[in-house]
Amino acid sequence: MSRIGHLAAKETLLLLRDWHALLLLFLMPAAFILVMSLALQGQFSARSGVHIDFYLLSHDSGATNAKLLHELRSLRGFRVLPASADADQLAARVRAGKVQFLVTIPAGFGAALATAMPKPVDIVATPDVPPAVYQLFQARLRATLARLYLTRAGGPAIATAIKAGAADKLLSAHTLYGRGHAGKLPSSVQQNVPAWLLFAMFFIAIPLSTTWVAERQQGTYARLLGMGIKPATLLIGKLIPYLVLNLVQVVLMLLVGVYLVPLLGGGQLTLGHAWGALALMAIVASLAAVSYALLVANLVSTSEQATIFTGVANLLMAAVGGIMVPVFIMPHALQTLSHYSPMQWGLQGFLDIFLRGGGIGMAWNEAAKLVVFAFTCLLATGLWMHWRRAK
Amino acid sequence: MIDVEAVTFRYPGAARDALHELSLQVPPGCLFGLLGPNGSGKTTLISLLTGLMRPSAGNLHIGNARHASPRIAVVPQEYAFYPRLSVTENLRFFAGMHGLNTTSHPPAIARVVAATGLEDFRHIRAARLSGGLKRRLNLAIGLLNEPELLLLDEPTVGIDPQSRSFILDSIRAVNAAGTTVVYTSHYMEEVEALCTRIGVLDQGQLIACGELQDLLRQNRNATLMLDLDAPPDAALRDALVQLAPLTIDGSVIRARALPHNALDALLACVRAHGVGIARLQYGQSNLETLFLSLTGRGLRD
Repeated sequence: MSRIGHLAAKETLLLLRDWHALLLLFLMPAAFILVMSLALQGQFSARSGVHIDFYLLSHDSGATNAKLLHELRSLRGFRVLPASADADQLAARVRAGKVQFLVTIPAGFGAALATAMPKPVDIVATPDVPPAVYQLFQARLRATLARLYLTRAGGPAIATAIKAGAADKLLSAHTLYGRGHAGKLPSSVQQNVPAWLLFAMFFIAIPLSTTWVAERQQGTYARLLGMGIKPATLLIGKLIPYLVLNLVQVVLMLLVGVYLVPLLGGGQLTLGHAWGALALMAIVASLAAVSYALLVANLVSTSEQATIFTGVANLLMAAVGGIMVPVFIMPHALQTLSHYSPMQWGLQGFLDIFLRGGGIGMAWNEAAKLVVFAFTCLLATGLWMHWRRAK
Repeated sequence: MIDVEAVTFRYPGAARDALHELSLQVPPGCLFGLLGPNGSGKTTLISLLTGLMRPSAGNLHIGNARHASPRIAVVPQEYAFYPRLSVTENLRFFAGMHGLNTTSHPPAIARVVAATGLEDFRHIRAARLSGGLKRRLNLAIGLLNEPELLLLDEPTVGIDPQSRSFILDSIRAVNAAGTTVVYTSHYMEEVEALCTRIGVLDQGQLIACGELQDLLRQNRNATLMLDLDAPPDAALRDALVQLAPLTIDGSVIRARALPHNALDALLACVRAHGVGIARLQYGQSNLETLFLSLTGRGLRD
């Protein structure tokens, strides 16, 4: 057996002996996938029967107002709660998160609707409303108002009103998240399995770096260097078993999405038929995660640093990379930043396969980015090891 | 085997050299004791000898007439193995790292297991071994490649006398088989019992080096302690004090810086008075006394 073979065998044995860490490594993403897929089922699925509650307050009267009230009470997936209190009290309840929205129809709404200066319907959202839910609610209200507007205004009045930008003034929304995104939304399972899988794959940095830190502290690393083992050999000896471990993790998590989530009442993950592309993405994402882990393992000095750094850095990468919040509802600056997150590259690559029916031709761009990232990490690790040794 | 010539090494950011123009020779087959207080540069020298670090200045050559690049092994102070692996798994892994092929593994592993008395513990995980067994495993790993130069950095720290004695015997056997050994330790009696030649490092410089017995002889202690069978009577006391400046306390007679000829006269005088000698100590010097006289009693790092 070659030196790399011995290193890989040793690393595999060490991993198998630390079954607590292995269990966490496999159970954590499985739990994530199950919980997130099931919890977000209502957000992504229109047929789930989950209702979002809102208050409806009208200061107007007349036929247009009555029609709008009727339309809003019939909104699919949303439910109007009886509003027995005054506007301030209702707003306070919304602010406290007891109800998601307060919709207020202003006095004179019906009369002004067909003019160039309509009076907007006002939405106040609870601060912690899920952004996707808020997007959906806004879209439904806009559609309802647009229908009313087109019915009320007729002939030349439409042209005048459109010229004055009246249609944009039909709704006033109080929220930070105002950006919509064209295109289909991923289903809960389709988005969550690859998302949380990638998240978990990057957590490989914790066991890898704590093992490496222990080797440095125990003196085995120095002993191996003293035996003439080259740092590159040590790197490859670590990379191979962790790469295999990550790929095993990918397979298990996909199986959870395909078999376990549906058993517990969720949707089923559809893998598609692009097996080559799926294998490519799994390998390059694993390579990126393990290379990143090797860099972290060399940069940190203690196990505590490894755990804290990896935890925080992974959360940041996940937040920016569209793992926790879909990128399309992020502010513009974060959307730009997400283009530089390896987790976003991995996610888009998997979604190319799972959602867009793509193959290698569609996913190669993300795969190439991940490969470049992996080799950059490996190069940086090699340089760092060389520099530390010279120091 | 080792030729260190005016070697200087300074750690980045350090105020002074860890080793300063150090020159040292260790002949082949020698069992060399490297002594020094904490921070004197012993571990730095071993790191330079293993190639983990490079000297800032000077030359360092390891080799002998037979091999320009002899097989070297280092047994570090730390338990430098994998606690989650068993004794055999650790040995198999490090044998693989030495590039020993699969056919030579079993004999090599069996040899070091026998040499370090680990036969009954081969399948036990290293984490569960006692301190003494861990030290023996640490040594066994160092013996896998049949080193021509073995560097031992405090290999007996924190273990019981039995384990220590076993390890010292193992090291003697390795040395007797032809391996040059450099041994660092803070246990002076250990070095005195084991090594034939020593070097004393202090503040990065070699302050003494040579054959152990020569160094002890040069620093012999000329203090006399003579314990008689019974306290001397007045006649013997008068006779003794005329021979040399000494103090008498009960049956114990003490004298400082006593010349050889005065010792002969004192013993003759005691015998002439018909008094027996219970204990006698003269001219004895041990390594600890020598070490303290060379390095002083001031506390170090």
